[in-house]
Amino acid sequence: MRYPARPATTPPQLPEWDPAWSRIVEAETPDGRHSFHVLDTLAVLREAGLEPEGTILALHGNPTWSYLWRRLAQATVETASSGGRVWRLIAPDQLDMGFSERLPHDSAPTPQSGEVRRIADRIDDFDAVVTTLLAEAAGSADADHPIVTIGHDWGGVLSLGWAVRNTDVVSAAISLNTAVHQPEDAPIPAPLRATLAGPMLPTATVLTDGFLGVTLRLGDLSPETKDAFRAPYRSAALRHGIGGFVADIPVDEAHPSHPELQRIGTDIAAFEHPALLVWGPKDPVFLERYLRDLRQRLPQADVHRFETASHLLSEDHDVAGLVLDWLSSQFPAASDRTADARRSATERPSAAEPTTASAPDSPAPRAVTAILDARRDDESVASVDFAQNPAQQITWRHLWHVTTSIASGLLELGVRPGDRVSMLVPPGNNLTAALYACLKIGAVAVVADAGLGPRGMTRATTSADPQWIIGELPGLSLARAFDWPGRRISVKPLNRVQSALLTVETSLTALSRTPHRAELPTPPAEADAAILFTSGSTGPAKGVRYTHADISALAAVLTRVFDVREGTGLVAGFPPFALLGPAIGATSVTPDMSVTKPKTLTAQAIADAIIAGRSTMVFASPAAYRNVAATAADLDEDQRAACARIELVLSAGAPVPGELMDAIAEVFPNASIHSPYGMTEGLLLTDIDRAGVAEAAETGHLGVCVGRPIDGVELALAPIDETGASADDLLVGAEAQDRLGEFVVSAAHIKSGYDNLWHTTALSARDDLDGRTWHRTNDIGRIDSAGRVWLEGRLQHVVTTPRGPVGPGGLEALIDSDEAVSRSAVVGIGPAGTQALVAVIDAEGTSLSPGLAPLDLAARLRARVAEVDGSDLSAVLVAPEFPTDIRHNSKIDRSRLAAWAESVLAGGPVRGRI
Amino acid sequence: MRITVTGASGLLGSSVARALIAAGHEVTTLQRRPSGAEGARDVIGSVTDPSTVTEALTGAEAVVHLAAKVSMMGDPKDFEAVNIGGTRTLVEAAQAAGVPRLIHISSPSVAHTGESIIGEGAGPASPDHARGEYARTKAAGEFIALAADSADFRVLVLRPHLMWGPGDAQLTERVIDRARSGRMPVLGSGAALVDTLFVDNAVEAIVAALDAVDAKHGEALVVTNGQPRPIGELMSRIAIAGGASEPKLRIPVAPALAAGSVVEKVWDLGEHDDEPPLTRFLAEQLSTAHWFDQRRTHEVLGWRPRVSVEEGLEILAQHYSA
Repeated sequence: MRYPARPATTPPQLPEWDPAWSRIVEAETPDGRHSFHVLDTLAVLREAGLEPEGTILALHGNPTWSYLWRRLAQATVETASSGGRVWRLIAPDQLDMGFSERLPHDSAPTPQSGEVRRIADRIDDFDAVVTTLLAEAAGSADADHPIVTIGHDWGGVLSLGWAVRNTDVVSAAISLNTAVHQPEDAPIPAPLRATLAGPMLPTATVLTDGFLGVTLRLGDLSPETKDAFRAPYRSAALRHGIGGFVADIPVDEAHPSHPELQRIGTDIAAFEHPALLVWGPKDPVFLERYLRDLRQRLPQADVHRFETASHLLSEDHDVAGLVLDWLSSQFPAASDRTADARRSATERPSAAEPTTASAPDSPAPRAVTAILDARRDDESVASVDFAQNPAQQITWRHLWHVTTSIASGLLELGVRPGDRVSMLVPPGNNLTAALYACLKIGAVAVVADAGLGPRGMTRATTSADPQWIIGELPGLSLARAFDWPGRRISVKPLNRVQSALLTVETSLTALSRTPHRAELPTPPAEADAAILFTSGSTGPAKGVRYTHADISALAAVLTRVFDVREGTGLVAGFPPFALLGPAIGATSVTPDMSVTKPKTLTAQAIADAIIAGRSTMVFASPAAYRNVAATAADLDEDQRAACARIELVLSAGAPVPGELMDAIAEVFPNASIHSPYGMTEGLLLTDIDRAGVAEAAETGHLGVCVGRPIDGVELALAPIDETGASADDLLVGAEAQDRLGEFVVSAAHIKSGYDNLWHTTALSARDDLDGRTWHRTNDIGRIDSAGRVWLEGRLQHVVTTPRGPVGPGGLEALIDSDEAVSRSAVVGIGPAGTQALVAVIDAEGTSLSPGLAPLDLAARLRARVAEVDGSDLSAVLVAPEFPTDIRHNSKIDRSRLAAWAESVLAGGPVRGRI
Repeated sequence: MRITVTGASGLLGSSVARALIAAGHEVTTLQRRPSGAEGARDVIGSVTDPSTVTEALTGAEAVVHLAAKVSMMGDPKDFEAVNIGGTRTLVEAAQAAGVPRLIHISSPSVAHTGESIIGEGAGPASPDHARGEYARTKAAGEFIALAADSADFRVLVLRPHLMWGPGDAQLTERVIDRARSGRMPVLGSGAALVDTLFVDNAVEAIVAALDAVDAKHGEALVVTNGQPRPIGELMSRIAIAGGASEPKLRIPVAPALAAGSVVEKVWDLGEHDDEPPLTRFLAEQLSTAHWFDQRRTHEVLGWRPRVSVEEGLEILAQHYSA
């Protein structure tokens, strides 16, 4: 079949598309003049009286067209007209693609045929178009007029290829899912392999729209949007470019474009300007290994992963918002620039000097491994591990030698500072040894909770992309089954069959026999120390980055606030704090329990741990204490006496109700009982003790009281508006009291950022009050007139009634106090700003049957809510089941209950899925 | 102000007339029976008769148009004559007489297509999709009223939703009567969330509209208590307030919808003065959510419902125990 030539045309009316963006551009390419359809916002900007102050050059891939960039176009125009930097967007359709010119072809495309427009040609085409268009705006050549490239799919490589050859004019580069390199040892991705298989190619790509259809399913697109993407490819005659593009994928060294792709890959590594990589990990073609390869070439690149996204990530996620926020962080608009200068003058210079946010008189925190090093000759007990049978006790001297040997062994094996090491080891001596060995050489520990389940752990580990995995057998088996990245190290030596099966190279035991190296590299304080994953109760688990300075600051908090010092004996039943013993010089004892099942901790186990470590402190979770209290009758005389020696009981992970505090006091009669509040991003933020809980209960406030900010933590409030969003401006002191808001915290020991989530990090740390670094917690509630913090839920669970926003936690506490109710969730249904307030009650543990609550109960609760809060409770429903989070089994999934309630209250089935 | 109220023999119309008189206005009423509103000038007749309408509008500075044929069933011609023809007659006569204000009382059913309404504002009237003759003809009537809106003839449309209260024969008395005889069914789970409007609040909203229409006009507003409730719960409470026991008769939704269709058809064949016990429209109304965004209504009218649902139920209970 012949494919006739056709000049560029303009698209028809399409959703989200402004025809004023469309223009036809004639440009001189090396093989002559060609016509291009280009998305260019210049006319629209000038119509609004705006002259470009920066230019974004965008290039689509295959088989999309510049329609891919419509939301970026819209967002740049909106930003420009609301006072931000005026970015012009230039996004050409490639030749043979979109609405650009169709070149004449005599035959269907094949990899070796001359009918294919090659990578090198396409970069020249792009150059021809953008050079022509940049010349139109007078300021484009100015020093303060940044020019930034962005690309997707093969447009990513092409735009990067152009950027690295024009570093004199390009200020930054952005790419969505793409690939610049096809490793010789890895097969090309299966879907492409099928398409490329010889005679299949023209059929799949040109003669039918199979390739187009498959690609458009790699995102959640409406039928109208799919139609718009298909618009320029209605007939086989118009689809030659789709096949041509596929035919030009350099699958092996013999391919005509292979050398060019190699050259681009090499050139990219020399690109020193800022870069941003935006990734959808569910892409079946542009796999994780291409991201890894790009990050190695562009180590300066910021990364943002949309964990749930596939290839067409900019269709499902706010990529335009991310790009604009990143650009404004790199190139502040003229009006922002003064503010930014002011900010940087007061900003804490680096994570290495975190004293700005800590108490003024506290000494600078020590390095995480300093005490361990100082005690290298100390024969006293450092750590006791009851998880091993028999219990294993090691001295400081032993711990120093083991960690130093493992550290030396890791270096010999090839572990580099900054390498990530996924830890699949339960708390105890082995984890302590592996962790401190890594800390010594600057390797970064990656810790994801087994509570995430295999899928969640796989997603977390893949996003952290560790070079190494240290694991016990169950962890290593999981890693193999789900094909996790990283070279494998077992804890104990494995037999040959197991080693081969799990691709394990060595073991901690073997590494611990390595002769010491003379000098281990000392990691700088601002280097990453650990990536801790959140529980993932609100979307995919996020990796939280902690530097060495952050960990040191956290250890210092335990000393300053809870008097955990060198020589203190502590029972470590709560994982995050269990790891800090060696950093503080405290003797930590791991009790006999399953960490993922805190309910397995018995009173006897805790007492034995106290005796073994001569402990004076106990750290555990409320679920663990509940079981300890329940099994206290089993304690013998000695064990009881040991418990009586405890001075401090710390309960972390969830709030502790007054009656549990009382039960704990029965077991530990001489201890002060504290329940700090925190989160993965800031483990210790506020604290309340037993007297405080009793005192708070007297006030009649609604919600869960978590006490006052601890020494070194600054607390601010971002008030919540009628749409349920938290304000940009922070309130502190009296102004922040008695109003609903999101808690925003600042402290030396909070997170440094989220891992590979540039935008999430930027948004969570967007405040700059008093020149501090803040963290938006996403937790909401009130601060009372005595400065106590009352939690009322998560920001996304705020109910936006016409009377104003309502925090669910406060009303739940009120409803739960009714004798007929065991637990409840307060949710909003309907559109934001006019939501109906609904109480959902758990049927379990009550005599209620699912559906509408009985009239008298509904009336009683409605009257109570109206009396206390003034809100109108539209309905009271009884749910057949109550979904809660995996890790704590305590956080009620209000979002799922809200969806169920909305369905039931619209006439849907009561027994429907929750 | 001199105000003409049409349809003042009904509960809402007569209550509005009384409230306006009590507020010191000069009120003329137009309906087929005496309004019973003391102090009003009653013009007896139909809104379909131009000369009667012109007479009722003499000297008026505002007109509140409540007259309508309200029923689940009946001859389409009757609905058209009153709800479309009557409205056109009234609008033309008012414009001819130079009356500057019209408060047109419509119904949320004009925009209800049978789907759930969850926190939406007043959508545009849709005669082609409205369910049943009443809704269809009220939708067309609303179009006529809104199309006439101008700076000199200011029109506000109010759509009160499911009004109830002492003296209401449409909903309140029927629920109580049926519950007393054990014939009040609860459809499905009874949890479909619906907005309602206590009668006193309806009256005050209309009075407020007469003040508001000078500044804001040319739009339709749904008027409710802003307190959505599960339909089953509300019906039960109304029944109890009326001295009946809590309805226990439960009917699954799908059979009810089917039964509604059948009953409608059978009813059409016979001669009945009464409404059919169940129609498909009613079954839909009782098994799907319909509650509304009241923010625009509050903003335009500068009005808030004074009597809450719970207070309204107390008032109802007192009314029936007296």
